[in-house]
Amino acid sequence: MADIAIADLIKRYGETQVLHGIDLDIRDGEFVVLVGPSGCGKSTTLRMIAGLEEISGGTVSIGGRVVNDLEPKDRDIAMVFQNYAIYPHMTVRKNIGFGLRAARMPRADKERRIDEVAALLDMTALLDRKPSQLSGGQRQRVAIGRAMVRDPAVFLFDEPLSNLDAQLRTQMRLEIKKLHQRVGSTIVFVTHDQVEAMTLADRIVIMKDGHIQQVGTPDEVYRSPANTFVARFIGAPSMNLLDGASLPPGTVPRASDGAVLVGIRPDDLHPVTDAPLVEGRVTVREPLGPDTLIYVDTPSGEVVAKADARTPPAVGATVRLGAAAQDLHVFDAASGAALRVA
Amino acid sequence: MFANLTIRQKQIAWAWAFLALPVLFYGVIRFYPTGNAILISFQDWNLLGSRTWAGWENYAKLWNDPVFWKVFVNTFEYLLIGTPLSLLISFVIAYHLDKVRFMHGFLRMLYFLPFMTSAVAMAWVWRWFYQPVPSGLFNKLLASVGIPQIEFLNSTTNALPAVLAPAIWAGLGFQIIIFMAGLRAIPTTYYEAARVDGVGWWTQLTQITIPLLRPTIVFIVVFSSIGFLRIFDHVFNMTTNNPGGPLDSTKPLVLMIYQTAFTSFDMGYAAAQTVVLFLILLIVSLAQLWILRSD
Repeated sequence: MADIAIADLIKRYGETQVLHGIDLDIRDGEFVVLVGPSGCGKSTTLRMIAGLEEISGGTVSIGGRVVNDLEPKDRDIAMVFQNYAIYPHMTVRKNIGFGLRAARMPRADKERRIDEVAALLDMTALLDRKPSQLSGGQRQRVAIGRAMVRDPAVFLFDEPLSNLDAQLRTQMRLEIKKLHQRVGSTIVFVTHDQVEAMTLADRIVIMKDGHIQQVGTPDEVYRSPANTFVARFIGAPSMNLLDGASLPPGTVPRASDGAVLVGIRPDDLHPVTDAPLVEGRVTVREPLGPDTLIYVDTPSGEVVAKADARTPPAVGATVRLGAAAQDLHVFDAASGAALRVA
Repeated sequence: MFANLTIRQKQIAWAWAFLALPVLFYGVIRFYPTGNAILISFQDWNLLGSRTWAGWENYAKLWNDPVFWKVFVNTFEYLLIGTPLSLLISFVIAYHLDKVRFMHGFLRMLYFLPFMTSAVAMAWVWRWFYQPVPSGLFNKLLASVGIPQIEFLNSTTNALPAVLAPAIWAGLGFQIIIFMAGLRAIPTTYYEAARVDGVGWWTQLTQITIPLLRPTIVFIVVFSSIGFLRIFDHVFNMTTNNPGGPLDSTKPLVLMIYQTAFTSFDMGYAAAQTVVLFLILLIVSLAQLWILRSD
C-alpha cells in the first residue's frame, strides 16, 4: 500500500524532450489510468515509476520515499507488460514463482503463496502447463499472477490488454477491476483505449505530447473536458466541434470576446422539429441497435447525431438537429481551452 | 497438354521444374561420389590400374592400424577441446559485445575478420608466432619476462593444442555473430520483468538467457563439431615439413585420408577411412541433436 507523488517529471532522449514536467498525485489504493495517443509519454511515465527508464528531471516518490535512484526491485512495485513477458521455457508455476526468486522466504511459504495466487486467479489446474499450452487470456493471467505473488504496494500495467481480442479484452478488463476491488493496491494502468480508461479508472490522466491535458474522474473528463483534445479523445463517436459563428445567434453563450468552438456529443444531438442548431442532409446511417447514428452534411461541416432507431431519417433526407443548452461545451477557438459559461 | 492438368498437378509440375537443377546437382556432385566412395572402400585401386574386389579387407586393415587409432584419438581431441572451448569463448564475447554501444560495428568486424581470412595464410602466420627466438613472437615474449622457451609445434604434447588454437580463433567470428543474433531475438521485456522482480544477473543468465538460446546453442555445437571433426587445412599448413606433427601427434582423420589417397595412392583404404569419418560425423551430429533436443 502506498501513494505515488510525481513532481515536475521530465524525460529527455538526447536533445529531444518527451516529457515536459509532469505533476501527478496518486492516492493509496487508487486506480489511475494514463491514456493518450501513441507518443504522448504515458508509457515513458510508467517506466519511470517502475525504474526502467532513467529520470531526467523531477522526482518520483512512492510511499513518501523518493525513488529516483532506486533499482526497480527496491521500489516495492510489480509490473505487467504488454507482451506479458512470461518465460516460454518455464511452467506456469515457475513463471509465477519467478517473482519470488529474490524474496527471502522459506520454500514452503513460496509454494503456498503461488497456490494462493493461482486459486485467486482461477489457474490452479494450469500450474504445470507451459505458456505455449495457454490461451492469450490465460497468459495474461499468469503475468498478473507473477505480479501479485510478491504482494507489492503498487501495480503497474503497461497496455496489458492490447494483445487480446475484443471479447477477451472486455472480460479481462472486468477481472482486473474485480481484482483491484479485492486487493485494494494502488494501480497505475497505461492504455491508448479511452473505453478501457473510462471503465477501469478511479481517475483518468489524459496525456498528449508529453503534457497532462486533464486529470479527473471518468465522469469529470466526460462531462467537462478541459479542452478540445480531451473532448474529442474521450467518448465515442467523438464530440462534434462546430464554429460558434455558424450557429444561430443567441445559441452560443457569450463567454469570451474571441471566436469560440461549440462542442456537442453525438449522444446529445438529436433530430428536432423546431429551433435547430444545424441543418443538413443525411449521408450515412449506422444502426447500433438501441439507437442509430446519422452522419449529416451541414454548412458547418459533417456532424454525427443520434436518432431513434425505430424512426431514423432516410439517407438523403434533410434533418434539423438540436441539443439542450446545458449539453453545449464552449471552447476558445484559438487555444482550445474550455470556457466556463456564466 | 499442360493446360489440361489440374491446379494440383500444375503445382507439382512447377515444383519439379524448379527442383530439377538442384536435384541434378546433388545427384551428380554429391550422391554419386558418396555412393562411389562406399563402393571403392570395398575395392583395391591405385587410381590408374583396374579396381579389384577386396571385401572387408580395407576395414580390417584400418582396425589393425595403430596410426588409425592415434588419428582417431587426435580427431576426438580436436572435437572435445575445440567445441566447448570455442562455444564458451564466443558466448562470453557475444554476451558482452551485445551490451557495448561504443564502436560496436567496428569491434564486431574485428572479431569477424579471422573468419574471412584464408586458413593457409593464417596457419603460416601462427606458425611463425610459434617459432623459437629470435623470430617467434610467443617465445620472444616469454623470453623477455624470463620464462624458458616452449616447443610449440615440435612437442608431442604441445603440438595439438598449438594447432587447435588458431582453428578456434578462426571460427570465433562466425559463432559470435550467430550468438549475437540469438541474444537479440530475446525480448528485452524478459529482462525488464526480471529486474522489476529483483532477479540478479547470474539468475537472468542461467534462467532466461541460456535456456532461450538453446536453438542457437544447438546450431553452433553441431556446426562447430562438424568443423573440428573435419579439421585439415590448419594442421596441414602448420606442419608442412612433417604433415601430422611429431609422431602423428596432430594428425586428424582427414589428413590421414589425404595422405593415404594422394601420397600412398591407396584409394580403397582411403575410401574406407572416409566412410568411417562419415559415420563418426553422422553419429556425433545425431547424438548432439538428441541430447540438445527441445522438450
